[in-house]
Amino acid sequence: MARAAHPEVILIFRGTHQVMSAEKILKRGGVPMRLIPVPRRLTSDCGLAIRIFPPDKDRARKVLSRAKLLPRSVHILREGEVYEEEPCW
Amino acid sequence: MPKPKGVAESVAGAIRRAGNPGRSGHALSIRSARDLFVARERLAALFGVRDSSRFVFAENATEALNQAIKGILRPGDHAVTTSLEHNSVMRPLRRMEEGGVSVTVVPAGPGGVVDAGAVAAAIRKNTRLVAVVHASNVTGAIQPVAKIARAARRAGAFTLVDAAQSAGSIPFSLADIPADMLAATGHKALLGPQGTGFLYVREGVPLVPLIEGGTGSRSESDHQPDFFPDALESGTQNSVGIAGLAVSLAWLLRRGVETVRRKEEELLGDLISGMERIPGVTVFGPRDPSRRVSLVSFLVEGMDPGVVGMRLEKTFGILVRAGLHCSPNSHRTLGTFPEGTVRVSPGPFSTRREISGFLAALRKIASARR
Repeated sequence: MARAAHPEVILIFRGTHQVMSAEKILKRGGVPMRLIPVPRRLTSDCGLAIRIFPPDKDRARKVLSRAKLLPRSVHILREGEVYEEEPCW
Repeated sequence: MPKPKGVAESVAGAIRRAGNPGRSGHALSIRSARDLFVARERLAALFGVRDSSRFVFAENATEALNQAIKGILRPGDHAVTTSLEHNSVMRPLRRMEEGGVSVTVVPAGPGGVVDAGAVAAAIRKNTRLVAVVHASNVTGAIQPVAKIARAARRAGAFTLVDAAQSAGSIPFSLADIPADMLAATGHKALLGPQGTGFLYVREGVPLVPLIEGGTGSRSESDHQPDFFPDALESGTQNSVGIAGLAVSLAWLLRRGVETVRRKEEELLGDLISGMERIPGVTVFGPRDPSRRVSLVSFLVEGMDPGVVGMRLEKTFGILVRAGLHCSPNSHRTLGTFPEGTVRVSPGPFSTRREISGFLAALRKIASARR
């Protein structure tokens, strides 16, 4: 993955179906998002993750929690590929 | 069963793209994962379910029924079923009997319909599963599955509905029929390709997976994930077939199962009343089209069902199925064991003209029988 100039928020879900559901919910909720391969450092899984940007985090949390589809984990990706876990979701 | 336009093209597109769902983050894998997701969402829409993850894909109704039966029953449990079941329910149940499960088979009444009260009366303290067919694949007779599911729930048993003949043919939702599990194939009235099917599992039903393996999730763990659909979907899925099923489900949702049903009832009305007027032809199952799915079993007096089927094909180009239809107990109930019957099944693309053509052909075959 290219080094991100701005911080990114990576949402990890339990399985592919949950990623697809989250994509639908975020798009419907007007949250800019992108499907990305799960960054290797986060998990050994071979699937997908969702990338959003920090300003959209609250809205994303709101629409996902309304759909009872909160991510398994949330990470902040900064320049230099440092992953910080966000415990609050 | 002929398919709606676009089903074959979708299968061809998926096989050309060759993406594998849930196994990678590249575009082709995502596209394939999306095909599965879309098909699941359409199944949920068709059956009035909010959470599409409760629909687990299977190769066919048989695999789905095996998963349900073998995943829920344990030694010492009791299961109730009916004399109308297909071998895909009876054989797994008989296998479970060898492992210490007891099974009660409730006989159907003379009209080929099982009495919901008789099924409820067969439920015991240790009854864990009530497995019942929604519509007989031999007579087409629709069974009182909603009543049975409600009775089973009150008694603390799980209900499995075999909807192989009814899914896509009779409009119903899983709110109307409170089944805990429902199995169907994709290739019949859902109008999708062979090799597709599904099992719906209501939340909280403690099913043990029939097979475990790679799911593309929790790969770091030796243990099968416990969340749906991954819990029951291991190994590479038939994403090519499911891409076709997604298209046929879209067609059904657009057309509406109610519309398909109205048309099939009309065709059935013509078919049954026409067949009853042909000397030597016996029609089985309910006379009222609203009480059956779109199939009619019949016999021509003095003729082997296989010979009737062969003449219909060779002389008139009409394809039917002859024999026991994998459901010997149904034929014992009808008194048509072991020869079976001939079965003709109009679909959503059949026409009144085709029904008239069939009736004319049958008249010729029946009048030349001696």
